[in-house]
Amino acid sequence: MSIIAGSAHFEDAAAVAERAARRPVLLQPAAIGALLAAALVLALGWWFASQARVERAEDAWNRAVIMQLMALGEAAAALEGRDGATSEAALQQLLLELDSGDGYFRVVRLSGSRLLASTASGDHDDSAAPRRLSRDEKWLFDLGQALRAAVETNVSEGVFRRRQVHIELLGDERARITLPFFVAGRVAGIVQAERPRDLGVERPSMWLPVAGALAAWLAIGGLLALGRRRGRMPDPAGRHWGLLAAGAVVLAGVTLGHATLEVGALASWQAELNQGLAARFETLREDVGFLAGVASVSVDPGPGNRWDVDLYQRELGLIGGDGRIQAEAVAGDIAARAAGLYKAMLGNFALGIILLAFFTLGAATRSGRALRSNRHAYMYVLPAMFGMLVLVFFPFIYGIALSFTDQTVMNVSEPITEVFVGLANYAQILGDFEVFRSTAAGAVINYQNFYWTLFITVCWTTTNVFVGVSLGMILALMLNTRGLRFTNLYRVLLILPWAIPNYITALIWKGMFHQQFGVINQGIQMLGGEPVAWFDGVFSAFMTGLITNGWLSFPFMMVVILGGLQSISQDMYEAATIDGASKWQQFWQITLPSLKPTIVPAVIISVVWTFNMFNVIYLVSGGEPAGANEILITKAYKIAFEEYRYGYAAAYSVVIFMILLVYGVFQTRVTRATEATTT
Amino acid sequence: MSANRADRKPRLQHAWLHVFLVLFSIVAIYPVLWVFTVAFSGQQNLAFVELPPDPGFFDRFRAILPWPSNFSLQNFTDVLTQQPFLRWMLNSAIVAGLTTVLGVFLACTAAYAFSRFNFPGRRAGMMSFLVSQMFPGTLLLVPIYIIITQWLGLGNSFIGLVLVYSVTAIPFCVWMLKGYFDTIPIEIEESAIMDGASRQMIFFRIILPLAKPAVAVTALFSFMTAWNEFILAATFLEEETRYTAPVGLKFFVGGFASQWGYFAAGSIIISIPVVVLFLYLQKYLVSGLTAGGVKG
Repeated sequence: MSIIAGSAHFEDAAAVAERAARRPVLLQPAAIGALLAAALVLALGWWFASQARVERAEDAWNRAVIMQLMALGEAAAALEGRDGATSEAALQQLLLELDSGDGYFRVVRLSGSRLLASTASGDHDDSAAPRRLSRDEKWLFDLGQALRAAVETNVSEGVFRRRQVHIELLGDERARITLPFFVAGRVAGIVQAERPRDLGVERPSMWLPVAGALAAWLAIGGLLALGRRRGRMPDPAGRHWGLLAAGAVVLAGVTLGHATLEVGALASWQAELNQGLAARFETLREDVGFLAGVASVSVDPGPGNRWDVDLYQRELGLIGGDGRIQAEAVAGDIAARAAGLYKAMLGNFALGIILLAFFTLGAATRSGRALRSNRHAYMYVLPAMFGMLVLVFFPFIYGIALSFTDQTVMNVSEPITEVFVGLANYAQILGDFEVFRSTAAGAVINYQNFYWTLFITVCWTTTNVFVGVSLGMILALMLNTRGLRFTNLYRVLLILPWAIPNYITALIWKGMFHQQFGVINQGIQMLGGEPVAWFDGVFSAFMTGLITNGWLSFPFMMVVILGGLQSISQDMYEAATIDGASKWQQFWQITLPSLKPTIVPAVIISVVWTFNMFNVIYLVSGGEPAGANEILITKAYKIAFEEYRYGYAAAYSVVIFMILLVYGVFQTRVTRATEATTT
Repeated sequence: MSANRADRKPRLQHAWLHVFLVLFSIVAIYPVLWVFTVAFSGQQNLAFVELPPDPGFFDRFRAILPWPSNFSLQNFTDVLTQQPFLRWMLNSAIVAGLTTVLGVFLACTAAYAFSRFNFPGRRAGMMSFLVSQMFPGTLLLVPIYIIITQWLGLGNSFIGLVLVYSVTAIPFCVWMLKGYFDTIPIEIEESAIMDGASRQMIFFRIILPLAKPAVAVTALFSFMTAWNEFILAATFLEEETRYTAPVGLKFFVGGFASQWGYFAAGSIIISIPVVVLFLYLQKYLVSGLTAGGVKG
């Protein structure tokens, strides 16, 4: 291979170092590193803090509106089934009572798609509520159906996965909130409010981060100046652990100070927001109170306060039904959110340390020099490398990080530090040895157990590779017969299964295995057998996968082995024939050893392919019955995208990776051994 | 005389070989014939014929004989006109086309750098590409899903798919292309530098034209990967109008749907280009794959 050396001409290295060390202290890498690290940590911290403020303000605004809507919903539910005209009038009156202008409330009943009451600007005179929804209000009905579906999903799955409160931002200034109300436990309709959304968030001061970063810069610069006065000039490209330690101390001080100040400010503001909400809750109760007089309906939030709920309509418990702030719960909420901010700051600090180390350990200087002298090369590698970093290497690391969390679809927006669970996922996967579960009916295999799936995967891989290699070998030997006619035709026909996209193959076989109409059962019946319910038994379902994959994979082996066979010299066979060796002996003594260098890599790669053969299992049997035939890779996929347990799925995948890694190490040993014996 | 005897004996053996090979070829192409039968039957049924109430041996035999009871092009016309299949094909073509362009660009530039420059990180970069081939798909799938849908907001869009396809194909393509670039003599470039050509000119005017066959193979490989990919597309795409062809085909027969006629007709339309490409490309793929197996 030929290489063009970097085009830059190198100066004497000592001269370069000398010149770099003579620069002012504040421009030395250690000082710049401290400045940049502190700036990074504080800027990120500032951003997290201001996000936290926005988030709290949004929460408070949403809670205020949701409270009103929940009360309104309960009133509407209580008025349902009462005498029509008075209750409708009472509802309309309640809406007017709640409406502070500059926005509107709406109540819609889903059955009959009726607008029960509304204060929207268009809904008066002819189109005043109550009336049927008009055609261009169909979206209201659709929204109601979507919310009903969400509620039903949550109820049937027993988890709160889908939000029951719909929040829609209308530009920066306004928002619309919709939530369902219930009659006798079922979604009867929706209540909706649109309001101006002025959060009034005050961003944290910028001065604090700027001052902190400057302080860190000057501190390290001062330290360097002291050292220089004593005659010590650190080489910018050298490794300086002392400087790193000093920088870390400074950085820790700056980060901690910033975090403490921000958390304090947030806590007091959050308490203030809660007080504001409690006051609004009081007014709301008074507003609703008049219903008792008009329609003799009393609406009460109950002791736990059913009106103050989160986006899944679960009670928050921060403001009691009597309007008092639950100090303990509020303090807990504040502390929990503060912990989140602290953890984020800790993450920032870690990033800062990495940046600092990059500068103080001389990596910055060295990579700067390397970058300049090889800029063409880096320019060419950059696009691919960037893509690989973002979509392969980063996801890999992120996946490993995820495996230590219990992240699910519900808390996917929370930072990883919030859902950290340590090794719990691994313990759950690897520590569960209950493959057999004893029930009243005797021992039953627990198909969800990791070791069962591993067992199936190992069976799956070995049987498939065995079938592939034997079929491939037999066919290759046949096709390699000298003087055989039509070999090219056979070759093309036999290669066809490999050429068809494997998801299509898998679906075709799924159709052929159909119990009633599938041709395979027809064939069995033709020969006098009973039709087989292929996907009901563990063994028969396994066979469907094996047959499909065997059909898919033999052509590869056949082609590879055929290539190997054709490169064996005929002289060896002739010599063996002269020596009186039988065909059988020739096969074992000449053919197989000569094929070894071709077969071993092919087997190695097909083991990995089969181990990871997602499509066949997923599309043919789908792991039926009851997940018994799942292999590791499809199981991991189902945990992630059918159970939505991302963290657990990530841990599962890491275990799979480890298995492949062990296999990889084993494989290189074997390959080396074969190379050693064959060369 | 003796030559004649030696000639006759193999002939007899060949007959047995032919019997076995013919039988096996029938097994190998039966599913293909099955698809054609279902596709040309004009119905959505899995069964080829209506069985009489008490079917005998020949009725059963007729039921597995891959020959439709009546020929009709109905499934093909329906799948192209009444179903959104044409749309799905177009989606697949867009995704695969963009993947090819982006994938080839990324792979060629990186392979050129790895082949022609000696720079710090070269070995590490190449090794990291190799190692990345061992990362299990599902481990990457969840983070990629979160990155693409939640962070970049590219869920349900083709751009997200194109990015993922072209990037995940990089390592294989880079190793293949690098091998080819290494065989192009360096003297050509050196004389071009003497003549005052810039790096860009050398790359675009000299190297790429010389490496045309390898670039073509890379392009076809990228195209086929994207055209055949199922899992990522099924995970990312939610709207029916956005489906790529593989997801659409699964849609015909997945869950409780059983439009086997549409599926079969669609499969044939989708497969023909890839099968032709594959039969043409197969020898390159085999050598590339097994070579990788030895090294990795």
